[in-house]
Amino acid sequence: MGSWPALAANPVEILVLHVWGTPPGQAAASTMHPIAQLIEAFNAKNPGIVVRGETPSTDYFATLQKAQAQIAAGRAPALVTTPWSNINFAVQGLQVAPLEKIGGNEARAVLANYKDEVLPLVTMNKQTVGLPLAFSCPVMYYNNDIMKKAGVDPAELFKDWDSFKRLGPKVKAVTGNPILGLGNNADWEAQSIIQCNGGRVLDDNLRPAWDSPQAVAAMQTIAEVNKAGLYLQSTTQESNAAFISGSLAIWMASIASLGGLAKQVKFDLQTSPFPVFAGKPRKMSSGGSFLGCYARDKEQQHAAWEFLKFVGSKEGMGIWLKTGYLNSTKFDFPVLPGQESAYIQLREGLTRESPWPGSRAAEIQKVWGTYVQRIWAGDISAEEGCKQAKQQAAPLFPKT
Amino acid sequence: MTASHPIAAGAAVEAAAPARRRIWNRYRFWEAATPYLFVAPVLVVVGVFIYWPLIYSIYLSFFDWNFISPVKEFVGFANFVRLADDPRFHQALWGTLIYIVALVPAQVLLPLGLAQLLWPIRKSRAQGFYRVTLFSPTVISFSVAALLWLWIFHPLQGILNKVIFDAGFAKVNWLSNPNTAIWCVIVVSIWKTFGFNLLLYLAALEAVPTDYVEAASLDGASGWQMFRLIRFPLITPTFFFVLVTTVISVNDEVFGAINVMTDGGPFDRSSNIVYYLYEQGFRVFQIGSASAVSLLIFIGTAILTWVQFRYVERRVHYG
Repeated sequence: MGSWPALAANPVEILVLHVWGTPPGQAAASTMHPIAQLIEAFNAKNPGIVVRGETPSTDYFATLQKAQAQIAAGRAPALVTTPWSNINFAVQGLQVAPLEKIGGNEARAVLANYKDEVLPLVTMNKQTVGLPLAFSCPVMYYNNDIMKKAGVDPAELFKDWDSFKRLGPKVKAVTGNPILGLGNNADWEAQSIIQCNGGRVLDDNLRPAWDSPQAVAAMQTIAEVNKAGLYLQSTTQESNAAFISGSLAIWMASIASLGGLAKQVKFDLQTSPFPVFAGKPRKMSSGGSFLGCYARDKEQQHAAWEFLKFVGSKEGMGIWLKTGYLNSTKFDFPVLPGQESAYIQLREGLTRESPWPGSRAAEIQKVWGTYVQRIWAGDISAEEGCKQAKQQAAPLFPKT
Repeated sequence: MTASHPIAAGAAVEAAAPARRRIWNRYRFWEAATPYLFVAPVLVVVGVFIYWPLIYSIYLSFFDWNFISPVKEFVGFANFVRLADDPRFHQALWGTLIYIVALVPAQVLLPLGLAQLLWPIRKSRAQGFYRVTLFSPTVISFSVAALLWLWIFHPLQGILNKVIFDAGFAKVNWLSNPNTAIWCVIVVSIWKTFGFNLLLYLAALEAVPTDYVEAASLDGASGWQMFRLIRFPLITPTFFFVLVTTVISVNDEVFGAINVMTDGGPFDRSSNIVYYLYEQGFRVFQIGSASAVSLLIFIGTAILTWVQFRYVERRVHYG
């Protein structure tokens, strides 16, 4: 790439803000996370560049918020894990640098290694806004020991939502507890459930479509699961702890949690694709984050691109996939036990996570997420909740 | 010599007078300016870190800005109008009211009652033990304390639900139930913060002159009379200080518990105005909105403080 200046004699240090390390004040993990292994491997091979990883928070939005503050202070981090749902904000608000700009002629070759169905998820205005690193989708984790005790065939339980409602009480009888917990922000799982019933959260013009009959019926389904005493109303921390301890039978969460869960549980951990709605195809949402380049300085951008090239190489992906995230590249890697469900959903076609539009994108997501929780908890009917959410969010959408 | 001539000498004196006046004026100037020079560093710090942000946030409350964009769009009072229409802001206001009504009496009166109970054993070692025990939660970090309380409140494995279930009642989703989450935050906030006020009251009670107490005791005053007529009036300056600072800080103090335990949920039911401000500014990146909220908080706090000075301070005995 001839247009780049040669790297300076002194190593260029770049900062990567991500969510997989240890936030300040917390005890460091005993094993090195694959992101740290990636950084270490890159630094060992590239004496002219020092990549420094930092985890302000394990929460995507808190990390993005830290990045925003640093950009505002004129100290933009070179790379930041940016959730798919904030892609509009990354482009319009944070002015992320497209890979075609920082990678020049090399960008095309690097991106050619990625699966065709993945690249549209990071493309906006015909430009690639980041490297699709953390690629995931929600799956159903379940405790197979509980299923065996209940005499329930998981394939039958997860066949469709009607089966789930019919067989769920048998599973509940084993523990006496609700059986289904939520492991991520509710709007993410809601998007998949709505899409599986033929509805959408946002239409092609990025206007709310969550009050369509299909969307309302999908939301009503989970409300009925809750009414039957099968859904655990809890924080995600609580449902996570309950699932790991064996008191919660099923946990719907990102496939990215697979690696961590497998190490923590003491039961037969299995996964399943999401139940469908009878007679309708499954249409799940992707999730996770891309590595966006926010560096304003050319030298920093150059160093960031070198790191991205390594991340997108076969060696880099080999290290990264130890996490449990899905393989977003065309490189062949063995599927980890438990990932099959996610790959089934991937082959069926994943959609982009709702790209919330405009400068008030995060606020729209917050409003919708709150109503999802209210509907599922039975605090408001599905029809009224979807309607009110649309009214409340309406002034937050950009004017057309 | 002309200088020895009386008229010439007088002229010399007159000529020297302005010089002396100048010296005198300079001396008076520096004498007046010196105190200001001593406090100048503090004034600069206060100006830069308190008054300038206050003025700047008032300015920002009239703009739509996301912290980064080079353009701040002037929107007039739109941020304030939007707050008036925002159900989440209304919910945060309602939460703020509940926190004030529940926490101010708890943080002002509970430590006062405990201090009163501990005062009779002030000379024994037991009081030291109680002081340390009751003050400890104040110095524990919120993230550590929250882990403990998250375990207590856990819906399936928490010790609280175990006790309730064993007693024959249904388990409660403490932090996910819209009717209980705010009260969990209140309980944790009381536990976390009342120790500081307890220490202030104990110090104030120590300072009550013993001759008053002994005289009242000789006159046969009961324990309650002793408190109501002797000790409490003499510690009213501390009581007033605790009341004013608690009202000012209560919604800030509860922020940590909300942030760690409930995230304002479920459905914003445990949120308050400070948490709403934080979300507007640092989660949804609406700096204009957040500045408008901060201005409202400032005005509200100023009014509450004025009311306390106007109606409560007159009952304070400064000795």
